[in-house]
Amino acid sequence: MMFLQEAPAETFNYMAFGFIVILGTMGLYVLSLINRYRNLERDMELLDEVSAKAEPSTESA
Amino acid sequence: MEPIPRNLKILTGITIALFLIALYMVFIYAPREAVMGDVQRVFYFHVAAGWVGAVAFLVTAIAGGVYLAKRDRKWDRVAVASVEIGVVFIFINIVSGAIWARPIWNTWWTWDPRLVTATIMLLLYLAYLMLRQGIDDPDRRARFGAIYGIVAFVSVPITFLSIRIFRTIHPVVIGSGDPTAEGAFDMTPPMLQAFMFSLLTFTFIYMTLLWYRVRLGRLSEQVEERKMEMMSI
Repeated sequence: MMFLQEAPAETFNYMAFGFIVILGTMGLYVLSLINRYRNLERDMELLDEVSAKAEPSTESA
Repeated sequence: MEPIPRNLKILTGITIALFLIALYMVFIYAPREAVMGDVQRVFYFHVAAGWVGAVAFLVTAIAGGVYLAKRDRKWDRVAVASVEIGVVFIFINIVSGAIWARPIWNTWWTWDPRLVTATIMLLLYLAYLMLRQGIDDPDRRARFGAIYGIVAFVSVPITFLSIRIFRTIHPVVIGSGDPTAEGAFDMTPPMLQAFMFSLLTFTFIYMTLLWYRVRLGRLSEQVEERKMEMMSI
């Protein structure tokens, strides 16, 4: 029936839903990249701290 | 902490600017489609997301081939980064297609050759990411990823050609397809411009994300190496 009508179909809600999914997924992926990078940076800092603490004790031993 | 390279900052700025222009073109510059109405605007990013997926998996196959030839782990980082981005964008492609299909085909999903081949492609590359996790030895993991990435790439041309070879209701926008396809439409010049601009924008989004994801992979390897060093002391 859609193709016999004169005016465009009222599909605004589907468009909005589509763009929420598209932009939302892209946004979540960007946030996941930022979050993973920050976590790794924190891990690296922690490893630096641990190795800095370990070095004097190995020297004294 | 490694600062963001200047070129990556410039690329990010260009990508954000292109993305804002693409949004303007999709929502304001391109006219409302005469039959389908507003939902047709999903088409611009739906196809562009599929394009990114195909490019991403091609880059994975190429990077895998280069890794096998040179045995340089940086190519494995590129391959896995590209798969991850490809999976995200093929997921967007499939879900946005289902949302577009609902008012046009009157169903979210149908066992159409394009939908099935695209889903198989997504599952193949999801398996790539999961199977890699199970291999501890980095060299074996990279070798496995390279061979898998090359073999799995067969799914990309099959997905692309499925609507041109098989009887399908999925429209072929560029070129000629099955005349029984539902949801096909002729693009006006502004629609075509918005479409081409979306493809360009999403290519830039892919390049930017790939660069950031490769940096993430490098940092992850550095952390792992550091941990191994500390465990060996």
